[in-house]
Amino acid sequence: MHDFAALEGRGVIAAFLASTQFVVAASAQARALGYREVPAVFVPHPIQDRTDSEVRALADAALAEIIAAVTRSGQGRR
Amino acid sequence: MSTERNAAVDLPADGLVAVVKADCPTCRLVEPVLAALPQVTVFTQDDPGFPAGIRDRRDDTALDTSLALEVETVPTLVRFAGGRETGRIVGWLREEWQEFTGVGGLGADLPEYRPGCGSRTLDPDMAEELLVRTRGGSLRSRRLEIAALEDEVEALYDRGFSDGLPVVPPTPARVLRMLDGTSRRPDEVVAVVPPNLVEATVEKVAINAVLAGCRPEYLPVVLAAVEAACTDEFNAHGLLATTWGAGPALCVNGPIRAEIGMNWAGNALGQGNRANSTIGRALQLVIRNVGGGRPQEVDRAALGHPGKLGFCFAEDEEGSPFEPLAQSRGVPAGRSAVTVFAAEGPRGLADQISRTPESLARSLAQGLRSVCHWKLPGGFDASLVLCPEHGRTFREAGWDRARLHRELDELLLLDRAEITRGAGGIAEGVPAGGSARPIPKFRPGGYMIMHAGGGAGMFSAIVGGWAGGPGGSAPVTREVDPWR
Amino acid sequence: MAVNDPIVILDPTDESAADSRTALERPTSLDGLRVGLLDISKARGDVFLDRLAELLAERGITVRRYAKPTFTKPMPPDLRREITTHCDVVIEALAD
Repeated sequence: MHDFAALEGRGVIAAFLASTQFVVAASAQARALGYREVPAVFVPHPIQDRTDSEVRALADAALAEIIAAVTRSGQGRR
Repeated sequence: MSTERNAAVDLPADGLVAVVKADCPTCRLVEPVLAALPQVTVFTQDDPGFPAGIRDRRDDTALDTSLALEVETVPTLVRFAGGRETGRIVGWLREEWQEFTGVGGLGADLPEYRPGCGSRTLDPDMAEELLVRTRGGSLRSRRLEIAALEDEVEALYDRGFSDGLPVVPPTPARVLRMLDGTSRRPDEVVAVVPPNLVEATVEKVAINAVLAGCRPEYLPVVLAAVEAACTDEFNAHGLLATTWGAGPALCVNGPIRAEIGMNWAGNALGQGNRANSTIGRALQLVIRNVGGGRPQEVDRAALGHPGKLGFCFAEDEEGSPFEPLAQSRGVPAGRSAVTVFAAEGPRGLADQISRTPESLARSLAQGLRSVCHWKLPGGFDASLVLCPEHGRTFREAGWDRARLHRELDELLLLDRAEITRGAGGIAEGVPAGGSARPIPKFRPGGYMIMHAGGGAGMFSAIVGGWAGGPGGSAPVTREVDPWR
Repeated sequence: MAVNDPIVILDPTDESAADSRTALERPTSLDGLRVGLLDISKARGDVFLDRLAELLAERGITVRRYAKPTFTKPMPPDLRREITTHCDVVIEALAD
């Protein structure tokens, strides 16, 4: 979240990917940094113990949402 | 003491009320005396468990009752009858307490007299909170929260409130203190601010004055400047939207210059004086934040200049060969006023040889002629800031401001042959043909003469303006006193 | 006031904008923009980002790859400078 604020504060459009484990923490951090909402994409927890093909499948599934988070197509949903 | 305020904090309609704090030795001294009173309601400002032995003891650590009763000293003893205050004593004076309460023999074993202590409502560390609590309700602007992990100065940049330099966070307490600088109500409308034509209230102007770093005593000047800059004649919208780089500048006249410590002497047009630096900045922040006039948006200046952060100075009236500028512009003598005019950055004009007003005026005219373009007449306004060593030459010759204007007008009649397109190998210029008569460089009233600067240096300044008159911008003067 | 209380300020503007910080205006598409992928250096994040880079490449978007030295701290200033100089858009992954 700090990286998000640092990048956006310098004019770089940023989005943040995390596992669903981070939904609450990310939202609390966002509020603490003054954002009501942040373009974040959450993928199903856990990540670290998954096989390569499972992780790649998560990326496939998340792609549309990731692109939406950094383009105008996603603004309605944030 | 108004009955409304009493009603709001639930005081008994009849009987005695005491206000105390445990931190006060006199309050601790009278602890047994209060316990001995047959009926008393005791409000305690700090320790809710103090004093002991009181049946009707109430927590006033939030100080609401103390504020409502306007308690300045503890202990304070107040008597109510029929919902109204009928008497009050402070501190400890045995005889007075006995008489006031009607209880004989009260505190017989205590010293006869002890002065009270200051009420917690008067603690300096409470001042800010109480200011906001008692008067914050008069503020109408939206409250914004800077989150716990944000740096407050960074946060103000992030939200776009800054002109590029750090701004002071406009907390309610700071804004309330700023508003002490005027008797005007916070919700009064000062002006409709271009480009978005938004009504600026006294409060909004005060918020931006806090951002800019103003002191409360500067606020009337800022308010008058906003009023002046938002007139149709000044045309701040046009000045902002043009690709030309000028911005609003302010010249302050009258007693307020000294009252708020403005600089009209050495480096008058430069940095280093808080009033000069922040008043001009406050006007620009009002145009930015309230009016929505931001660089590369509505502000289309190709280059701009550093004075667009804020350009404000005071005229040196005491050392001037002329009457104050504001007076020449119709403000009665001895009154404070601010004149707003379109300004580029100032450019020095040296003449260290001329000893006659005629020669010096010729130098000044040459400088003025270069405004906008040496070959272009009639369009742009300008200002001349005469330095004291140049002013002396005119004073000794007995020239007043009007005389200097007349002489300069003559000297600024341009020979058409010199300024025709192509003349001098420069394509720019006026179209060929038409009358052979000379053309005035400036429209009537198209340049102002002011006096400021340090005592040494035969260096005046030319300040270019922008398109003058209808369709462009004309200087506007407004009195400051109505905004005090 | 407690240390972690937010500071309250008064809005100096015409109040037409949102009252909290908002993310930057998004582009209509990523076409022609310089996209960076920032690996926060948590386990398996690289696999995810490798795949994401492939998927973006299939859509004609080439990405620059960056990695934080550690996920436990904000990125160091030199990395931040590098990214802000070379990227219009950054996707940061993957916190788990």
